[in-house]
Amino acid sequence: MRFLGFLLKRVVGIAAVMIGVSVITFAISHVIPADPVAAALGDHATDAQIAQFRTEYHLDRPLPEQYLIYATGILHGDLGKSIRTRRSVADDLADSFPATLELSFAALLISIVLGVPAGVWSAVSRGRVPDYVVRLLSLAGGSLPVFWLGLIVIGLFYYQLGWFPGGGRLDTFVPPPPTRTGLYVVDSILAGDFEALRSSLVHLVLPAVTLGYFSTAVVARMTRSSMLDVLSQDYMRTARAKGLAERLVIFRHGLRNALIPTVTIIGLTFGSLLSGAVLTETIFSWPGLGRYATASAVSLDFPAVLGVTLLAAIVYPVANLAVDIAYYWLDPRIQHG
Amino acid sequence: MSFGRTSVLLFIALLIAAACTPAAAPGASTQPSPSAGGAASTLVWYADTSDLISFDPAVAYEFTGVLLAHNAYETLVKFEGADLSTIKPALAQSWDIKDSGSQWDVTFKLRSGAKFASGNAITADDVVYSFQRVLKLNKSPAFLFTDIAQLKDSSIKATDPSTVVISLPKTASPQGFLAVLTFTIGSVVDSKDVKARETGGDSGSGYLLDHSSGSGAFVIDHWTKNSEVQLKANPQYGGSPKPALGGVLVKHVPESTNQQFALEKGDADIARNLGAQQIAALQGKPGVVTTTGNSLQLVYVGMNVTVKPLDNVNVREALRTAIDYDGIVKDLFKGGAKKVQDIVPAGLAGYNESTPFQADVNKAKSLLQQAGQTAVTLELLVPTGPAPGGVAWADLAAKLQSDWKNIGVTVNIKQTTQAELLGTYRAQKGQLVMILWGPDFPDPDANVGPFTDYAAKSIAFRNGWDDKTIAAKGRDAALITDTAKRSAAYKDITDYVLHNGPYAVLYQPTEPFGLRSNVKGFAWSPMDWTDFAAISK
Repeated sequence: MRFLGFLLKRVVGIAAVMIGVSVITFAISHVIPADPVAAALGDHATDAQIAQFRTEYHLDRPLPEQYLIYATGILHGDLGKSIRTRRSVADDLADSFPATLELSFAALLISIVLGVPAGVWSAVSRGRVPDYVVRLLSLAGGSLPVFWLGLIVIGLFYYQLGWFPGGGRLDTFVPPPPTRTGLYVVDSILAGDFEALRSSLVHLVLPAVTLGYFSTAVVARMTRSSMLDVLSQDYMRTARAKGLAERLVIFRHGLRNALIPTVTIIGLTFGSLLSGAVLTETIFSWPGLGRYATASAVSLDFPAVLGVTLLAAIVYPVANLAVDIAYYWLDPRIQHG
Repeated sequence: MSFGRTSVLLFIALLIAAACTPAAAPGASTQPSPSAGGAASTLVWYADTSDLISFDPAVAYEFTGVLLAHNAYETLVKFEGADLSTIKPALAQSWDIKDSGSQWDVTFKLRSGAKFASGNAITADDVVYSFQRVLKLNKSPAFLFTDIAQLKDSSIKATDPSTVVISLPKTASPQGFLAVLTFTIGSVVDSKDVKARETGGDSGSGYLLDHSSGSGAFVIDHWTKNSEVQLKANPQYGGSPKPALGGVLVKHVPESTNQQFALEKGDADIARNLGAQQIAALQGKPGVVTTTGNSLQLVYVGMNVTVKPLDNVNVREALRTAIDYDGIVKDLFKGGAKKVQDIVPAGLAGYNESTPFQADVNKAKSLLQQAGQTAVTLELLVPTGPAPGGVAWADLAAKLQSDWKNIGVTVNIKQTTQAELLGTYRAQKGQLVMILWGPDFPDPDANVGPFTDYAAKSIAFRNGWDDKTIAAKGRDAALITDTAKRSAAYKDITDYVLHNGPYAVLYQPTEPFGLRSNVKGFAWSPMDWTDFAAISK
């Protein structure tokens, strides 16, 4: 019951965050000193077209009324109509979000699969060559701009070596699998389309590595730090004194306890992966939310910007919720405390 | 109660699964078919297509939408290739302009045997439906019909299945109207097909947003949003040339370096958005050639005459005189731009070749002295990103700042997004504004009107320039039907604006393209499109 109560509180909290975010974003997007009409209709629009546009998007109403119209729409699942694409924002998000989610999951997977072992290895080899190598690579991961890294990766592995494709989600002449989730890897498995599966996997590699390098570095450093802390604990000495194999001592007693802060970082990293995807998506022609958000912001498409912001406002707390739930599994004190 | 690990894990899995499942079915607008004939018979076109909103010819007014609609639909008349001087037959095999006293009557005879991709015959009713649909929808390009041609529903009539008569008021230019009809807004849609797909009184615009229903050389096969558009050759196409390839795949690749790499690797046949850096890098590369296409755009600085001292014609002339145009064209753009100083671009009738200004510091200083100005400080509004021709707007602004500093004019550069800049410019609140202009239809009136007529609330208005004499001359020139007389009238107007108007036209950009060397028949029209049908490989 305690878990359900905790869950309920978090869901209510997420709803409150959503309301706050929608009010703030709406206010900001409507008070910036720029005219979305000029952005949408361009340089040649007539006065009549401008008036029609303002009516269509309720821009001729007072700001509080505009917000009420917008909020009522949200309650009915209507995020409004994009000024730039002239489509429903919900449809636009449904088109672009799965691509970003797939890329972010792949980057997160890389961060965990590479970052956690690298951190452990670095900690147990403290002061020796593996430690220096991991720390150096982590430092680079935290310092290299994604845009630069992306261009280098694409230049080397696509242009020079030809090992991986240069961009997009599939090979030029491979049709996408029938849409079930929007995640091509999942959809191609569901459809039994192994050509699309192969193609979508190889297309994920370079953007996921580029996007995931920074978070891999963060995860590795956090794991190293917490492992060093754990390794000096009494219970580790006790475990060794009991005659347990070093592998069991490190992974069962050490890593399990060191993972709590790492999981926290992974949750936070997931949110930053979604926002960091903007540049990666541009470089790799990845049709995701980041590119949609950028194009919307540049063209003052405030319904789209609001939609993206609300989506991000859900993703962050949901990722944190997932982290909190993971604590239950990792730390019995939280379950019983 | 304590949760077991399994239940918690199961919950996380469910949470992730829920997050992965979008509310609406995303992805392709239609289920894509495998490529039309495979790689060998498909042209792969790499471009930044982020402006794509709709293929509907009554709605499309962005570069990519217009390019694709042009290839999926036919118009009554057309320009061929890059030649914008002669109007040629398309769906109309002939036309006639008759002065009926109180109005112009333009009669079009349709080509016999013409069919839509659906197999339906093309009739005069389709033309009437298509044009009236533009008026009803009243989207971005509709002003070409309502304001330029001054069309009304009742102006468009089918007198028999193959004859359409369109009446224009005497205040509209029949030549200008024919030029408007070459644009995608003049596309003829399959009225039977579109009517059957109307929902909620939308005139089929929901369907035509991501499908085609025309008689052009290609049909839209599918549009996977933010990724690609596939065109397939239309076997019913009755125009010429017939498509040499089975299909065209337009891939959305926003990063120009990626476009360059893909071209070199042979993954792309044509790359559309290469900057000066990429074009330079492609020189001498095996299997790749570069070419340029003409554009009708002009990049200019508008000078708001409601702001002192820009109200003084000598100050404006001084600013124009101080600019190093040759340096801009040769050093900054390295051949990606043409030196043009007149308000009508090269390629259109009425183009004035005169280029009297070139960094004459002494003359500019003298003009400032005549205006009683010694130290002038102004703000220059500049868009973000690259200017047409591939050089950053900011670099171009820095060049102007440097040129004007030579004559004692201090310019503070303020860079904003183009949308924000346009808002300021439209409200007549800019001082110096650097921006581009492209004509809406290939006729000198499309530039002379906006640049000279304050009442049109376009460029002259934004710069506060209300010269009623030149505006009236511009309106009169638009109505002249004799080509030689019309050209002479535009020469007078452009000569006057060159020295008296509130503009410093900086250059006319060219469009660079990278092609695989086996690609043949590519020609870029200054209308910002190409005929895919003419391209082979």
